[in-house]
Amino acid sequence: MADTTISATFDVYRFDPAVDRSARYQRYTLDLAPHTPVLTALLRIRAEVDPTLSLRYSCRSAICGSCAMQVNSKSRLACETQIGPEIARHGRIVVEPMHNQPVLRDLVVDQTPFWREYERVEPHLKLDPARPMPADRPTSMTPEQVERFKETPRCIACAACYSSCPAVEADPEFPGPMALAKLYRYVVDPRDTATRERLVGIQAGGLWLCLRCHLCTDACPKDVRPSERIRDLKELAIAAQGATEPGSRHAVGFKESIRGAGLLNEMQLVRRTYGPLGLFGQLGQGLRIWRKKPEVVRRPHRIEKVEEIEKIYAALDTGSEAPK
Amino acid sequence: MIRHEVVVVGAGLAGQRAALAAVEAGRDVAVVSKLHPLRSHSGAAQGGINAAVGAEDSVDTHIYDTVKGSDYLGDQDAIEFFCREAGPTVVEMEHFGTIFSRAPDGSLARRAFGGAGFPRTIYAADRTGLALLQGLWERLGTEEFTLYSEWDLTDLLVRDGSVQGLVAFDRRRGEFEMIGARSVVLATGPAGRIYGHTTNAHSCTGDGLAVAYDAGAYLKDMEFVQFHPTALLESSILITEGARGEGGYLRNSAGERFMSRYAPHVLELASRDVVSRAIVTEVLAGRGFHGPYGDYVHLELMHLGKEKVESRLQEICDYSRHFAGIDPVTEPIPVYPAQHYMMGGIGTNIRGETNLPGLYAAGEAACVSIHGANRLGGNSLLETLVFGKQAGVAAAEHAERATASALDPADLDRSVAPIRAWSSRSDGEDPSTLRTEMQRTMDRYVGIYRSEADLLEGLRQIRALRARFERVRVVDRSRVFNLNLTDAVETGHMLELAETIVVGAYARTESRGAHSRTDYPKRDDARWMRHTLAKKAADGPQLSYSPVAYTRWEPKERVY
Repeated sequence: MADTTISATFDVYRFDPAVDRSARYQRYTLDLAPHTPVLTALLRIRAEVDPTLSLRYSCRSAICGSCAMQVNSKSRLACETQIGPEIARHGRIVVEPMHNQPVLRDLVVDQTPFWREYERVEPHLKLDPARPMPADRPTSMTPEQVERFKETPRCIACAACYSSCPAVEADPEFPGPMALAKLYRYVVDPRDTATRERLVGIQAGGLWLCLRCHLCTDACPKDVRPSERIRDLKELAIAAQGATEPGSRHAVGFKESIRGAGLLNEMQLVRRTYGPLGLFGQLGQGLRIWRKKPEVVRRPHRIEKVEEIEKIYAALDTGSEAPK
Repeated sequence: MIRHEVVVVGAGLAGQRAALAAVEAGRDVAVVSKLHPLRSHSGAAQGGINAAVGAEDSVDTHIYDTVKGSDYLGDQDAIEFFCREAGPTVVEMEHFGTIFSRAPDGSLARRAFGGAGFPRTIYAADRTGLALLQGLWERLGTEEFTLYSEWDLTDLLVRDGSVQGLVAFDRRRGEFEMIGARSVVLATGPAGRIYGHTTNAHSCTGDGLAVAYDAGAYLKDMEFVQFHPTALLESSILITEGARGEGGYLRNSAGERFMSRYAPHVLELASRDVVSRAIVTEVLAGRGFHGPYGDYVHLELMHLGKEKVESRLQEICDYSRHFAGIDPVTEPIPVYPAQHYMMGGIGTNIRGETNLPGLYAAGEAACVSIHGANRLGGNSLLETLVFGKQAGVAAAEHAERATASALDPADLDRSVAPIRAWSSRSDGEDPSTLRTEMQRTMDRYVGIYRSEADLLEGLRQIRALRARFERVRVVDRSRVFNLNLTDAVETGHMLELAETIVVGAYARTESRGAHSRTDYPKRDDARWMRHTLAKKAADGPQLSYSPVAYTRWEPKERVY
């Protein structure tokens, strides 16, 4: 904890719907210790320079999830982002509201869509009346069963993942990383009795719209690793129901194609993904590819020593885990 | 005009549990909260929730520990009820979906906590509050009720002495609204931000206490303010008592485990008031560490090993690394006491009833009293759930028989006119400045050790700030998320409450639990075994006293 200060320049996104037609950036410069959190700096601006700056904040210790925002273009909790490294790397600190949620004012966004997706995965225990909880005592759960939640109970619903997600931006059908991590938390809960129903629902409910870019995992301040939980959900969904959607059929087809030949058979993959009839729908695309890169559409040869591939699969394939 | 049968203000654990109870009783329920419920300060509770559930433990031991921890100011009938409800409450929360840490045999894991004769603190790693908050909110989400999220409470509507509803401000639309109610439950949490050095969230500004006090409710035992022994230096972020429960040591600059001087039997696991005083005493004796952010002592976890520290104290590792640049696996954590909890609050009985018909309170906003002069770690989460439920049940019963009176739109104008005046001034006091000065005053004069001279000076300063608040000015003209207005509302609330704390502390000429008078160092049962009640009067808080309820436990000297 150094006590020397640095001069820190903040360019803060300002927008008041009553007076501003479009957003503007306001510059504030403060002398601060390098370990000062961005939130502390913003609150000092509010207290000492400009009380009209609006933002959400509460606990200042990364547990309430209020102060997620874009800090130098990354979704971060302002309370646990120190200014020193930001200044060292970017020379200044650009503070903007989260993405994928409409701006209400300054750094405050409308979180209605985020909460709606959270509600949509039915985040509560579903119980089978035929399998009641034990009366007057807690359910028995081993530490190993608790391990299966992985880090999902740490989620503070800050929406940093939602803000960073390009699939959320592109596709209104995608529930977003937080909602899917929450769904995973209920899928692996040994008390919940709707595991299969939940997995069947999400396989057709946007699970495969994830772009696997892992930006959510990068943004998550609590190490929930939403993209890994989405991957877990995909495996569990296929294990529970088989591959029923283009997305899941594509994944399974990819795996089988590589397994058999050591190379990707694009024609086979298209057929597996969209079905024999669906193949016609992809005909135009196929022709265009054939004209430019005919080798892609040709049947690939088997690589030598394809049995080595099998060894890799055997090493990786521990068998899809049973849901509970 | 908005109208519901039961309106709960505050959506932390106490408010949510009250809402669930009222919904289950068949009432039309609304929840009004300044934060989204999942952002409530309940989620910041780390260490755990007490329940004597094992065969080796007993409810009687939990009762005794709580009575002793309270320094015999807790009401023993309420404490008995509270401890008996602990087991069923934890089981219920588990059934609602809370994910607790587990022992190898599949039962709920338990850890040692300060002032407890048995390791009875059930936990979810070091984020028990978050685990309970998620479990309860997701259970409540299956019920029908109306949520008013990000609304600030500004007033209660009282007619003929009974509460008829409230006035609140919708941050998003910038509108004040009257919400009519047959019963109002205040579960608005504490006012920790009265102090500068506090573990509390910025939202903890005592709004419910202030409006209840304005409406004529009694505030009880306000002078009893708990200072948590181990807050992170500079930021005052909480480092859970669970860190010591898992075996952490406190050391001074001479390398001594100094708690052996103050609590020879249980060392670091003495009650919080005892440990906080010990740290301050060590620092005053020149045995603290000194740095640019003040004096401190060391909390050591290194000897526990990387695996234990990182699995059971995962959030603590993050806090230390992010907010202090310290890795607790290899380095000691610099800690110093900070304001943490208010034993006092809106006076209630075990049903959450206040002295005003139609008004109920629960959680940290309320004072039943089960914590007396000092709360034990692990008892506050339990309190929110046990008494949140009681208040919800009682509010629902009252709502069933009470008749709703018509609200008069003129009442809204009357209630809001003074606040509107803040925005029309061309010159005046800045709410943030008043707040900062109040925090400095309270830190300096109304802290862990108190004296007549300090309290008089503190009172003088708080009254001067209250006078300046009469001319408070809001400069932000925007309707949407006008936090300048919220700042002013909250600062007004806190200044009013600060006065009740100082006046109560000045009057109580003894040392008991968290209230330590250097000029009256002994507990005085003959004169002071009684609760302080503060009622609003024209010239400040008017104090009266009420007896402590006894059942089986005779007062003894507290030794840990």
